[in-house]
Amino acid sequence: MSATDGTGEKVQNADTGLARERTELAWTRTTVSFAALGGVILKVSPVVGLVIMVLSVVIWELGRRSHSAGTGSRPGRLGLVTATITTTALVTLTLTLLEW
Amino acid sequence: MTRATGVQEPAGRAESAEGSEPDYRFTFANERTFLAWGRTSLALIGGGLAVIQLLPPFPGIPWGRHLIGTPLILLGGAVAVISYVEWKADQRALRLGAPLPPSRLPRMLAATITAIALLAAALALASAVHSN
Repeated sequence: MSATDGTGEKVQNADTGLARERTELAWTRTTVSFAALGGVILKVSPVVGLVIMVLSVVIWELGRRSHSAGTGSRPGRLGLVTATITTTALVTLTLTLLEW
Repeated sequence: MTRATGVQEPAGRAESAEGSEPDYRFTFANERTFLAWGRTSLALIGGGLAVIQLLPPFPGIPWGRHLIGTPLILLGGAVAVISYVEWKADQRALRLGAPLPPSRLPRMLAATITAIALLAAALALASAVHSN
């Protein structure tokens, strides 16, 4: 990728690792989302809510390990994130149906 | 190790039966897309739970909140699973240098949320009629 500057010369689009930083921030946002959901579930079930908030720390650690490797996450780590979200959905559904 | 990026650049492209390692920026972009869908899943789950827990019951329709909230929670779980499947398919396409497969998620999300919105409107009208 390159762009031209005012003189018409092509300027190298030097990537200084910002893609990795953006990915780190994305993992941080995901961690915060997990923790927020855990906070909402605390009202319904304190135990489940706390577990989800603890899981958010696990998610953060997964992200930290994946981008410290430098080349993105292995399928196993992202599969674990998917399994965690899906399990959270099922547990949430169970809690709401039990209350009903 | 490259000082500018801090990323270990392989001496040559890693070859395997599944193509070669793509530019790490594409891999990270794919990962960020997956994480964005993951946050969407969590928001849907939280939204469904909030509808059930925080909204007052619809007058005359005691199961109304569950009718709206339960599909949202299920949709959240489905989005999480499908986003992982699509992440894998996209990563494979990147390795093979093939065109990225089209995503099913935007259409699915738009259709389901529209349906739930219509359902919520219908429930609100029905409960208003019932209370009158």
